[in-house]
Amino acid sequence: MPNLKELKNRISSVKSTRKITSAMKMVAASKLRRAQELAESSRVYADSLSFILSSLAGNTKNSSDLPEILTGRENSKISLLIINSSDRGLCGGFNSNLFRNAKKWISDQQGQGKSVKIMTVGKKASSFYKKTDLDIVASFEDLNSNDRQLQVSEEIKNKIMELFESNEIDEVSILFNKFVSAISQEPTYQSLIPLSNEETSEDESEANNAIFEFEPDKNELLEYLVPRNFLTQIYRSVLESSASEHAARMTSMDNATRNAGDMIDRLTLTYNRTRQAFITKELIEIISGAEAV
Amino acid sequence: MINLKVVSPQKVIFEKEVEMAVLPGAEGDFAAMPNHSPFISSLRPGQMAIMSSNKVDESFFVSGGLVMLKEKVCEVLVDQIEPLSDINSSNYQQSKTYQELEGNETALGTFEQVVNNPPYK
Repeated sequence: MPNLKELKNRISSVKSTRKITSAMKMVAASKLRRAQELAESSRVYADSLSFILSSLAGNTKNSSDLPEILTGRENSKISLLIINSSDRGLCGGFNSNLFRNAKKWISDQQGQGKSVKIMTVGKKASSFYKKTDLDIVASFEDLNSNDRQLQVSEEIKNKIMELFESNEIDEVSILFNKFVSAISQEPTYQSLIPLSNEETSEDESEANNAIFEFEPDKNELLEYLVPRNFLTQIYRSVLESSASEHAARMTSMDNATRNAGDMIDRLTLTYNRTRQAFITKELIEIISGAEAV
Repeated sequence: MINLKVVSPQKVIFEKEVEMAVLPGAEGDFAAMPNHSPFISSLRPGQMAIMSSNKVDESFFVSGGLVMLKEKVCEVLVDQIEPLSDINSSNYQQSKTYQELEGNETALGTFEQVVNNPPYK
């Protein structure tokens, strides 16, 4: 028969866990709102920039005139994957989903005869990939405190520009959890080098048709635009990922709170039954004692 | 009137109808007015002035960026922007833009110039 004292302790510890998880859920919910707002308000800049870029690229008829940082190298051998994870755990399958997806992508690339390098964002990814034998070129941590997202995005951009120029990498993709809704996040790849223009496809026809004058000339503008575009794409993925993280944490903490509630119910039931049994046993002992006299 | 929209990587800073906006283009200042031919330019650090009937209504310092000018829309994608009225010329080193431009000598030089003696007054 379970010990009453033990049961009581158990119940109170589950109760305090429930308090913690429900508080974390509230915190995640309010942070989610903020992260979502930030992600949405940053979209205007990103959209305008990609519009300008596609009108500029569309205006250049011969694609060989475009710099290779935009079109990619012909014989690409080394791809870099930037993995956007979280700094903290307790957010359900947020990170493990991402890593599983990345593993598949990496073996795909290796199957095509390319070697893969990794850049990690967030503590979880850096501690995960340290254990593997993959080549980690850089790790970035602690993004969400003090609004360092833009600053870190800038550092990431500088790093990839530097690596590309020194021929250490030929392709760059970024992997992040795309924020679909509060209950669903989706690991998504985006190619930075070569530049993917899937997202701009709607605008593209318009961008190609409009006749803009450019000042200074196209090449100089591209020199300014390409790094800017990297920065915005990276920044956007970082923001999406942070919104997804809070959403994932919110749902998983909601589940945890509910589970803790179920557990408390079950334990309380056992506790009451055990207590009842003790009382009955004691009564029987008293009665049989009295009978014996 | 032309629709002036100023956007930073984080957010839309403001959007309003103006008569004319003077912007520091990479190859010289230019004025954005309605029915300007479609035009894309990068910006150098300098003063952005919103004007009406030859008077400066509002004045800003921009650290650089891009402009896309269409018939009735002028979209300015800025890196950093701060209203000049927010900057105290005696201790401009304290301002946010100054601190963020740290290390960028040319931009800081222009900043100092614009704060102390803006080209458009």
